[in-house]
Amino acid sequence: MSAGRILVVDDEPQIRRVMRMTLTGENYEVEDARTGEEALDKIRASRYDLMLLDWNLPAMGGLETCREVRATSDMAIIMLTIRNDEQDKVQALDAGADDFITKPFSMPELLARIRAALRRMPLAPEAGPQRISLENVEIDFQARKVIVAGAEVRLTPKEFDLLRYLVLHPNKAIPHRELLQAVWGPDYGEQVEYLRVFIKQLRRKIEPRPEKPQYILTEPWVGYRFHLPEQSL
Amino acid sequence: MLAGRLAIAIAIVAAVTFVCFRLVPVNATTVGFVYLLAILYLAARWGLASAIAGSLAAVICFNYYFLPPIRSFTIGDPQNWVALFAFLVTSITASRFSMQAKQHTLEAMSRQREMERLYALSRAILLIETSRPVPKQLATQIAQSFDASSVALYDRETGEFFRAGPEDFPKPEEKLRQAAVEGTLFRDEADHTVVTSVRLGGQPIGSLGMHGVELSDSALQGLTNLVAIGLERLRAQIAASRAEAARQSDELKSTLLDAIAHEFKTPLTSIKAASTSLLSTSTLKPDQQRELVAIVDQETDRLSVLVTEAIQMARIEAGRVVLRREDHSVEDLVESVLDKLKPSVDDRHVSVNIALGLPPVWVDGELIEVALRQLIDNAFKYSPPGSPVSLEAVLRDDRVIVSVADHGPGIPEAEQGRIFEKFYRAEASRHVPGAGLGLVIAREIVRAHSGEIWVESKVGEGSVFQFSLPIAQKEQE
Repeated sequence: MSAGRILVVDDEPQIRRVMRMTLTGENYEVEDARTGEEALDKIRASRYDLMLLDWNLPAMGGLETCREVRATSDMAIIMLTIRNDEQDKVQALDAGADDFITKPFSMPELLARIRAALRRMPLAPEAGPQRISLENVEIDFQARKVIVAGAEVRLTPKEFDLLRYLVLHPNKAIPHRELLQAVWGPDYGEQVEYLRVFIKQLRRKIEPRPEKPQYILTEPWVGYRFHLPEQSL
Repeated sequence: MLAGRLAIAIAIVAAVTFVCFRLVPVNATTVGFVYLLAILYLAARWGLASAIAGSLAAVICFNYYFLPPIRSFTIGDPQNWVALFAFLVTSITASRFSMQAKQHTLEAMSRQREMERLYALSRAILLIETSRPVPKQLATQIAQSFDASSVALYDRETGEFFRAGPEDFPKPEEKLRQAAVEGTLFRDEADHTVVTSVRLGGQPIGSLGMHGVELSDSALQGLTNLVAIGLERLRAQIAASRAEAARQSDELKSTLLDAIAHEFKTPLTSIKAASTSLLSTSTLKPDQQRELVAIVDQETDRLSVLVTEAIQMARIEAGRVVLRREDHSVEDLVESVLDKLKPSVDDRHVSVNIALGLPPVWVDGELIEVALRQLIDNAFKYSPPGSPVSLEAVLRDDRVIVSVADHGPGIPEAEQGRIFEKFYRAEASRHVPGAGLGLVIAREIVRAHSGEIWVESKVGEGSVFQFSLPIAQKEQE
């Protein structure tokens, strides 16, 4: 059985070759695409668990492709780029990527990130309550669904995992490192910008007033805290 | 001057007396009014002194010719003394008012002229061309607007003096420098010379000297403000263009660095991924391992080509292109370029058509390969995947013409001239990774061989880049 279906999107044939070779060796099923447009076609036609997406694609570009894919799919997305600055990372995460790796990278690191991105929450779904109802937000842990003001809101797996971790440890400041490792995996801990972007997206999706959050609160210098009113549990 | 005006006054009074006494005899009251009219005219036209002289003359004539007993200075009726005295006071007072009104009018007119000149100057300052020295233009405009015989402008920042006007400025430069440093005002009324500091925000930034101009204090103030604004505008513009140039150069550098980083990191990424995969994965089959090693091998070659090119680029950039010319066959050059390109071009295909019996070319093989690679690389980059690229070589007028044709979007005519400029990226293709140096490099290389490079392109159909190369010496003989 394959460990997952991966779509490699890069205009560079040699990189696609290496990826295909190595990922196949790791028991993944691999398909590739040369452009963002081709990737979108493939995603429409078939289901993938993860996409490795090059930042520097001709025509449509990696960021735009990421946004388009994220609009309709909750597959894991890791972006590959040659630049290593925070602004680029934030842009990638904002566009809906789950993770970000700088070229040139070592295969073991990429494989670890792929595993982390594919891994669902380490907590079993049975742990904790099945669902939680807040004033106008309903979270169904079993079905991995979030309903805000009566309408279902689409969360990416990472967003959902982050929200779940926060909700399961309510009214308690959770440090950045703990959140990163719980949601992204043990190799993480320093990527505070990931949290900033994902928290921002979560607030936008579930808070009635994202600029003045009432559930997901920032604990300056420490991390984040989920404010759960007593009667909700 | 004064005697002349007094004579005119007396003559006018005499004329009125003659007309009223001899030609059109009228009564004393009417004569009094006619005299008054004449005196008001004198006051308005010739000033207070002639009006007073006229008044006195009129009183004498009035008494002698019109107040009974006529033709004598004695006055019979004491009431007439009152009339005479009232006439004198009225005429002198009216003269004064008339005189003042005239003065006000003159002042107003002179203010208006000053304002008009300041306005003209302010317009001229706005239109000053910054491509030529601005303070010099300022001085010229001031001299023209105010009809000054000489204008001198001192720019404290640069320590330069700028002169304009038909004459030399009569005061020494020291005076201007002093005004600029101490912020003082120097006026020489007799000489019609003024030297004043030019201030901006309270700080003297220069000084202005003018000769042959009469200006009110407020006009002078307005003028120096305009000069200050003019000088400041120039400075702001210089600063802005410097900042813009610095920004552009930074942008160019970062574009270039990005492109270089992209070019180099791509093979490095393949190499690193393949080698770390080989090192860490134990599950690879022998043929997979071999393929990864092959990738490392090919990408190392590619990196080596890139390094060679980077060195050539640096040589060309530094203007030190030393040609190592030899006879080369065009087939060999083309084949070598395509070989090196192969691993990085996917399934792109180049159809090669080299004319039979083409003589060898006398070129620096390494450099011509670089040039050719730039053109083929561009053809791939700027045309849709899968579309054909063709390469041709023919002999024409003792030169070999090599052309690379693609079926890309084509280049609008307006941009065709610019694509050979350094860092120029055509509007429609900014998204394609690259530094905009490829064509510059190709052009420099071809030129170094005293060849030519040009493009023929139609929007929607594609582009053909062509260049000419010299054929081997012995073939020419």
